[in-house]
Amino acid sequence: MSSTLPLFMLAALLLMALGFLGLVVRRTLVGMLIAVELLLNGAGLSVVAAAQLTPFPPAAGQLAAVFIMGLAAAEAALVLAMMVVVHRRFGSVETSALTAIKDAAL
Amino acid sequence: MTGLSSSISSLYDLVERFWKPLAELSLPGPAQEMMAYAAFAFYVLLIAGGGLAAVLSRQLVRALVGLVLTFLGVAGLYLLLAAPFMAFMQLLIYVGAICVLVFFAIMLVKNTQTGEEAASPGLGQAFGAILAALAPLALFAPLIAARAGELGDGLAPRETPLAELGQGLLSYYLLPFELISVILLVAMAGGVLLAWDRRFRN
Repeated sequence: MSSTLPLFMLAALLLMALGFLGLVVRRTLVGMLIAVELLLNGAGLSVVAAAQLTPFPPAAGQLAAVFIMGLAAAEAALVLAMMVVVHRRFGSVETSALTAIKDAAL
Repeated sequence: MTGLSSSISSLYDLVERFWKPLAELSLPGPAQEMMAYAAFAFYVLLIAGGGLAAVLSRQLVRALVGLVLTFLGVAGLYLLLAAPFMAFMQLLIYVGAICVLVFFAIMLVKNTQTGEEAASPGLGQAFGAILAALAPLALFAPLIAARAGELGDGLAPRETPLAELGQGLLSYYLLPFELISVILLVAMAGGVLLAWDRRFRN
């Protein structure tokens, strides 16, 4: 009887690849935040799958994934505030606009 | 596939509790296994399609809808792993809270429909993006495929009682549990401090 853990690991890997793709291809901070959420989701999925399908205590794995979710929520709240600040100062959240040192228009 | 089929049968118990007629149509083992595979394929399709929309859509609101689809797919995978608590948390925190936050972010910043997000990425950027997506796949997929036989013990995932999770939070995870409350408090206070408008100070 074969385990299904590799299938779940490949699903988590897919989320990771999509997250990296978005992180590079997006040009605004909002788009990058969406990509980071994909990455964190993949991390949680792999932790829960590993805990559920091995002799590791399942409660520990599930709680670790809950902590990942808590960190993701804190990160999203902080990034939202940062985006408001950046938008107020630069008038845009496009990453190409965030150049305070290079040819700065202060 | 014993793990998945047993979680499907626990899903059956859940259905039986709420909707008797459907549960009377009980299926033999191989059919349950096939159903589990079909459900897994459906959820992975949801993740892939939603994730592609979230990453490649030119409009950020559509990207957010794709993100919600992806979260739903991951919640389904949690159900297949016999972790209904995690599926519930996934819906509550990611779909309920984080998506609303991202929506606020989209609404609070300048409308990007005509901005740079609408332009198609340049050749170099597209090349870098494909490289960034293929790198983890090329690194880890062969590793997982090569060790597929050794990964996991082939046992059925068992549903953890909620009491066990609560005891875990108050015993071996006590320090992270307290720390994450501090982190959430600091993030909240930091968010308020950062976004505070100077006009309101006087």
